[in-house]
Amino acid sequence: MLEGKGSMTEEPYRWLEAIGNRREYIRDQIKGGTPVFALSRPEGILLLGIGHGQSKIFEIYDRHGFAALGHPVDIEKVRQAAIEAAHIEGFNRSSKDVTLRRLISFALSTTLKNSFEQIFSPPLMVESLFAELGETPAEDILVRVHYDGNHRYETSGVLVASSESKQEEEAASWIRRTLKAKDGLAQAASLCLTAWQSLVDNKPFTDLAAPEDPVLKIEGKSVEAALLDRKLPGSVHYRILDLNRLKN
Amino acid sequence: MNGDFLALLPKSVVPQVTAAAPEAVQATTVFAFHCREGVVIAGDHRATAGNTIFSDKTEKILDLDSHSLMAIAGVPATAFEMARTLQTTFEFYRRSQLQPMSLQAKIRALSKLLRDNLPATLQGFGVVAPIFAGIELSDPKAGPCIYFYDPLGAQFEAATFAGSGSGSGSIKSVLHFLEKWGDPPPGEMSVPQATTLAIRLLMTAAEFDSATGGVNPELELFATIKVLTRDGIKTIDLKEQERCWREKAR
Repeated sequence: MLEGKGSMTEEPYRWLEAIGNRREYIRDQIKGGTPVFALSRPEGILLLGIGHGQSKIFEIYDRHGFAALGHPVDIEKVRQAAIEAAHIEGFNRSSKDVTLRRLISFALSTTLKNSFEQIFSPPLMVESLFAELGETPAEDILVRVHYDGNHRYETSGVLVASSESKQEEEAASWIRRTLKAKDGLAQAASLCLTAWQSLVDNKPFTDLAAPEDPVLKIEGKSVEAALLDRKLPGSVHYRILDLNRLKN
Repeated sequence: MNGDFLALLPKSVVPQVTAAAPEAVQATTVFAFHCREGVVIAGDHRATAGNTIFSDKTEKILDLDSHSLMAIAGVPATAFEMARTLQTTFEFYRRSQLQPMSLQAKIRALSKLLRDNLPATLQGFGVVAPIFAGIELSDPKAGPCIYFYDPLGAQFEAATFAGSGSGSGSIKSVLHFLEKWGDPPPGEMSVPQATTLAIRLLMTAAEFDSATGGVNPELELFATIKVLTRDGIKTIDLKEQERCWREKAR
């Protein structure tokens, strides 16, 4: 090996370097992706994304939603993997047995980690968030999942996924500070769109104020919103939300 | 990724039986007919095993998704599994393909399950003869449709009504009579009128078929009655059925 006969992966330092390069490559590739949001509210979980007509938010199962940025083909791969795992589990056991904790731990994060570490195959370039609707906002589950399978559970009820982790946390903190308990879905969506604009324009959040009139559209972009609706009768809780029809 | 949920499963979900089995019976009554607003689909609550009443609280009208329903007649184990398979198949397709499955594909999906069940059907074990009601949402002018199946998987569209199960013979006669000479015929009835008719039909079937039962408004025992329209599926709950029965929908 020392004489250069072994493969690259047999040399630990070169492997670490390759992983580092891979991380850099992925970050560079998803830099242009715009943020997505998940907010746990009394009405349900609001999912929101902004793009050029390309879908960024999706239904996964009866009480589960997904939002992501990154390469569309990779988003599709992660989405399909989540949908397949959820439906097989729901069919073999029951819909109650489909939980985000199990989906993330046993199906998705392992796949993402393997994909990231297989340095001779293309990586999955996806930054994503998953949401599971509970009976009450306190029982909602929001999970931020990274391209390398790393994930964290968010307990504040506000989750943002972006290509830059520092800005992502600043945006989430601003929404947490600004959003009031009595605010409706229109105001919640408006804050997401305001934070989105600030992130895209690379402006600081320190002086950012909540808009006086709710901002529910962004010029030249298509705003996509969905609600995992707590009050929807039946087993399916996901529904597309028309922001223009929301009342303040 | 073709949206085929069954392809994800390791084997057929319907049992493959090789031993001889008893004679096939479809001891129940389920039916569907068109009314003014949409399609009414109803069934009794009795499940039997030979001459034994197994349960008087069996649900035989099952929602498959927001705009399709199945009424089951035949061996419950197979029929319930078929309904569950279709529920997952339709939702899996809608979510993975980001569009609902077409009505024709849904009709054929049930037909395929029945055909896959052929060995059990031929041996008289696992016979299922369901009724399906659905609507093609992509066509803004389409109304709800009723399809009935033979146990081998052939599907037939019912222009006015369909019935299945051992008690359906008498019901089909009554529905035919009403379609010809009723005033109003079932197709012109309001939902409350159709609800009362459905209860009466099930009571008529129970009069002549020991395997149909569990519906007796005087004892506050009601049927499962659902209405399919473009707005979705509405269950006529027991309170509503009682109100219709008391008022005789005048």
